[in-house]
Amino acid sequence: MSTPRGRTTSHPYSDDGDEFHFCTTCAFSSACLSSGYDKAHLRELHVLVEHVGPYKEGEHIFREGDPFNVIAAVRSGTVKTYVTDNEGREQVLGFFLPGEVIGLSGISHGKYPCNAVALESVLLCRFSFPNIAALATRMPGLQQRLFALLSEDINKAALLAGNFTADERMAAFLVSLSRRYAARGLSARRFMVAMTRTDIANYLRLASETVSRVFRRFQDEGLLRVDRRDIELLDLEKLEELAKNVLRE
Amino acid sequence: MTTAYTFDARVVRKYDIPGPRYTSYPPAPLFSPEFTEQTLREHIRRSNADPIPRRLSLYLHIPYCFSPCFYCGCNRVITRDRSKGRHYVERLVREIEAVGSLFDRDREVVQLHMGGGTPNFLRPDELQEILESVDSHFRISTSDARDFSIEIDPRFVEPADIAAYAELGFNRVSLGVQDFDPDVQRAVNRIQSVDETLAVIDACRLRRFRSINVDLIYGLPMQTLAGFERTLDIVLQARPDRLAIYSYAHLPELFKAQRQIDASTLPTPEAKLQLLSLAIDRLSAAGYEYIGMDHFALPEDPLALAQANGTLHRNFMGYTTHANCELVGLGVSAIGYIGDCYSQNARDLPTWESSLDSGRLPVWRGLELDFDDLLRGELIEQLMCFGRIDIPSLEHRYEIDFHDYFSEELQRLQPLIEDGLAIADNRSILATSRGRLLLRIIAMCFDRYLHSARSGTPRYSRAI
Repeated sequence: MSTPRGRTTSHPYSDDGDEFHFCTTCAFSSACLSSGYDKAHLRELHVLVEHVGPYKEGEHIFREGDPFNVIAAVRSGTVKTYVTDNEGREQVLGFFLPGEVIGLSGISHGKYPCNAVALESVLLCRFSFPNIAALATRMPGLQQRLFALLSEDINKAALLAGNFTADERMAAFLVSLSRRYAARGLSARRFMVAMTRTDIANYLRLASETVSRVFRRFQDEGLLRVDRRDIELLDLEKLEELAKNVLRE
Repeated sequence: MTTAYTFDARVVRKYDIPGPRYTSYPPAPLFSPEFTEQTLREHIRRSNADPIPRRLSLYLHIPYCFSPCFYCGCNRVITRDRSKGRHYVERLVREIEAVGSLFDRDREVVQLHMGGGTPNFLRPDELQEILESVDSHFRISTSDARDFSIEIDPRFVEPADIAAYAELGFNRVSLGVQDFDPDVQRAVNRIQSVDETLAVIDACRLRRFRSINVDLIYGLPMQTLAGFERTLDIVLQARPDRLAIYSYAHLPELFKAQRQIDASTLPTPEAKLQLLSLAIDRLSAAGYEYIGMDHFALPEDPLALAQANGTLHRNFMGYTTHANCELVGLGVSAIGYIGDCYSQNARDLPTWESSLDSGRLPVWRGLELDFDDLLRGELIEQLMCFGRIDIPSLEHRYEIDFHDYFSEELQRLQPLIEDGLAIADNRSILATSRGRLLLRIIAMCFDRYLHSARSGTPRYSRAI
């Protein structure tokens, strides 16, 4: 029921992959291709690459404590990961956009240490972790890619731990979304946010009201334009300037 | 943008055809009973989750009237029994509580409108109870810019009541006049003296109500040019900030009260056009700006200013300066516009009451809007507010190629352009001074539902 929009900003939906071609948002295609493998080779290697979904809004992909055996790349939609403390309070750990990989934090425990939930209709590309790990030992490019993903995951979590203002946090959040969409060939300046303001607030360690106040002020200052979930960054340079402490640039 | 308006009898006659008034797009007859309370709750929940949740505009419907005006097509209940108001307020307060709890508390109410029926059927202490309930279950804006308006039937109000309304926080008022001609008043069963009406206007001025609005109607039974001109003289002398000149639509098969009107006493279509022409000439000469559809305002009124600076909006309550609010409809038959859906409450009192008594929201029907509905809705709102469609803004917001998306509609518009109602270029479609009085005819070219093959097209009133 989210507002359907026109042709370029809509949620990226990579249904373009098939047996012999990678999806455009594939998290591993470049690693595999640069190692001289294509999807047909991967199939021969019996790696489980499975398209799953759609998961509906609010549907869980995995829950904390579930046995870990797969990682999954988001093909379309947005996934939120979170944990719940003893008082039942939710703590948002992160948001995963098309091309990004969920489940990596399960590697060290054998169990998923958090919950993953679809924030809108979500399609995934699921990999058996034992199989992809085995393949990685024979494919240096793939192994590097896995390490890179792991370290990105760790850095992402550490990002907001510092003592930053609400403006800095919000700007960093928006710049991060912008860069991640741009990395997948999507618009860096205009996108739909699937996360609720409560989720954004929780993730940035701010009050919901503060998130809206900062959005409103950014809008009044001409940094962006918000129309329900449709966000257009009008002054990305200024936002990057505000975000630089958080993003450590 | 041009705010000039020209009355051209030839084109007006040609385009005097039935069509929606576009207080919503799609119009209310297209709402579906498949829309449920659950759908409404879901849209409210989603609207709370937006990065900047929209502010709220409340419409409260008071259905009672002391006596029936025969022209009326509103949803109302005629009674002299004031105790009915007491029971109504009890339930309305319950609805306010139930609906208010669904909205996040940081969402400010910047506009509140009480309509009817006759809101002043209720006593000031009953109105107070309603507003106190709104205050405890919503966050009311404390800004000076907030608009709290009430429709008043001047026949049933005392100066002390006006003072009480001001005390309660109302700062705008709309008065029903229709016509002062005694023959017309008898024919429509609404006897209202000039003196009592002017006294109410004075009382509102004394209490510093802003934007006093007066409603007139043309096309009523027994109406004559001379009589209506006297009415216009009196009203313009009082110089209300806003004037609405509505066309009387005689649809007795739809509105029971209208069956009391002898159709043979209605002005001919030609005479009706002359009444409209007269009103437009007089208002124009008196310095009123044409806002759109039936509405006029003095140049310094916020509506005229909002039209000039591009911030005017239109919804079920008419024209407004409050951009992009969620419209929350409360009370029997009230319509809301929240998230991407319209919803309407039960139209009859027993159903509305029993829903609330059993703890449900009294939703009767509604509509979830798709991409195309939202796009056309915004296009039509631009037309109704500014007499202009801004092509680049729609292309940018909706990421469409306008001329490609609307190629059929542009063909439909062609005869109107040839008749001098509109001018089109690559960047805009502009209603000419002639077309400004026929905005709904231009809008109809873009109404997908009028032009798709459907059975049972709803009945609409005529354009003039």
